[in-house]
Amino acid sequence: MTGDEHLRAELEAAMTDAGSGVAAANGLCVACVDLLHVDGAAISFMHDGASQGTFGSSGELSRRLDEFQFTYGEGPCMDAVSAGRPVLVPDIEVETEVRWPAFAAAMLQEGVRAVFALPSAVATNHIGVLDLFRRAPGPMSPGDLSAGLLAAELAALPLLNLMTADVDWAGVGDGSTAWAELASLERVEVYQATGMLMEHLDVGPTEALVRLRAHAFAMGQTASEVAWKIVERRLTLDHDGAWRPSGEAGSAP
Amino acid sequence: MNNDREHQVTEAFVSLANSLVEHFDVVDLLSGLATDCARLLDIAEAGVLLADRRRVLHVVAASSEATRSLELFQLQRDQGPCLECYRSGTPVVVADLGAEAARWPEFVERALAAGFASVHAVPMRLQDNVLGALGLFGREPGVLLTARDLSLAQALAHVGSVAIVHSSAAADRVAIAEQLQGALTSRVVVEQAKGVLAQRGDLDMDEAFVVLRRYARDHNLRLADVAQDVVSRQLPAQRVLDNTSHRSAKPPGHAGG
Repeated sequence: MTGDEHLRAELEAAMTDAGSGVAAANGLCVACVDLLHVDGAAISFMHDGASQGTFGSSGELSRRLDEFQFTYGEGPCMDAVSAGRPVLVPDIEVETEVRWPAFAAAMLQEGVRAVFALPSAVATNHIGVLDLFRRAPGPMSPGDLSAGLLAAELAALPLLNLMTADVDWAGVGDGSTAWAELASLERVEVYQATGMLMEHLDVGPTEALVRLRAHAFAMGQTASEVAWKIVERRLTLDHDGAWRPSGEAGSAP
Repeated sequence: MNNDREHQVTEAFVSLANSLVEHFDVVDLLSGLATDCARLLDIAEAGVLLADRRRVLHVVAASSEATRSLELFQLQRDQGPCLECYRSGTPVVVADLGAEAARWPEFVERALAAGFASVHAVPMRLQDNVLGALGLFGREPGVLLTARDLSLAQALAHVGSVAIVHSSAAADRVAIAEQLQGALTSRVVVEQAKGVLAQRGDLDMDEAFVVLRRYARDHNLRLADVAQDVVSRQLPAQRVLDNTSHRSAKPPGHAGG
């Protein structure tokens, strides 16, 4: 197993062992602290470009730091979402007067000097941010940064679960791995089916993806399999939310 | 090289090079690359695969729907010359696919059924990073590209790679990954917009793409920008559909849906 594969497996295990939802998010944050040379981690949930609050964390301090951003309405996490890219702050002291005066002061008060905000996205939908905190100033090593980006990718799954409250994600045990599910969500037929659902249901891309994924889960299929059926018009979703088969049965390529 | 072909090769490079300085659309650019390869080289069709930050490959462009489908098949079955090319970072040349059934059983069966007999796959690379692979598919078994044509294909792939990353300052891995992600992002939005238009106008995905591209060209806009506006509902899907139906005098959409 290469270092990268090993890391992927370890991050995934931390999340899988914990269960679903908040527990999985917490497990992932704890794994970040163990693996990435940081002192704390937290995952915030974003919707419609605005932060909805802290969703999981490695501990109390991280949760509090993360929540400061919502209290003050400023911070690297917000900037990471609006820019759609990582915001890396090796030393917050340098930024005190400039970018986030209130948040930076709160961080320094807690003795935390570095913060790295890594957006979590599925198919370009920014749904959350992984915030990593460290007491010592300084940049992340390239290895830690790419590991952090992987963790941010994985964080998308518990965040998506959160958006589908009526599904019991604890029952997920179809043998597919988190990485396989993420790959299945990022396929061309899923993008196309998402667009069709957006138009049909008059919803945004994230909600369309959430609906598609929930149906795939209910049917014990991959998102990709459900997407093919939608694209080939073998499956449609009623406005009242019920799925029904339609038209002639075709075959997926 | 005869004058006409020389002219075409020059045009292809000029078009790729211009994309480095002008605002350009990466999906359009790579579609152009695939079409250029199919036209300039002694092959039938071409397709482009790009990897995302998780090293998962995506089909970003193809000179035909059959090629897109074959490239997609390689990704789904996790086997085939283009995947091998991406993973090794070196060209993979197969003169006769029929002789390689043991190497890629499912891919070979599918490729032969689609009427393809040979493959040349060249890596899309930038410095030490392999970004993806350019697949060139021929219909005649045993017909290999000349060394000169293979170099031409590799050169086109190189220029395409530089154009994707589109920044002389993007020397480090993170910056390259970000640029690449940008390229894939616009692909996602284009596919979503196709879905919106397909649903609205009861079109298949190819028809939806034609409608989208025609609107972009008629209004001198970037494909990715039009797609973004469709997806965010700033541009009503019906207006994009009407643009094509007015031009072709074909009724918008057809019965059913």
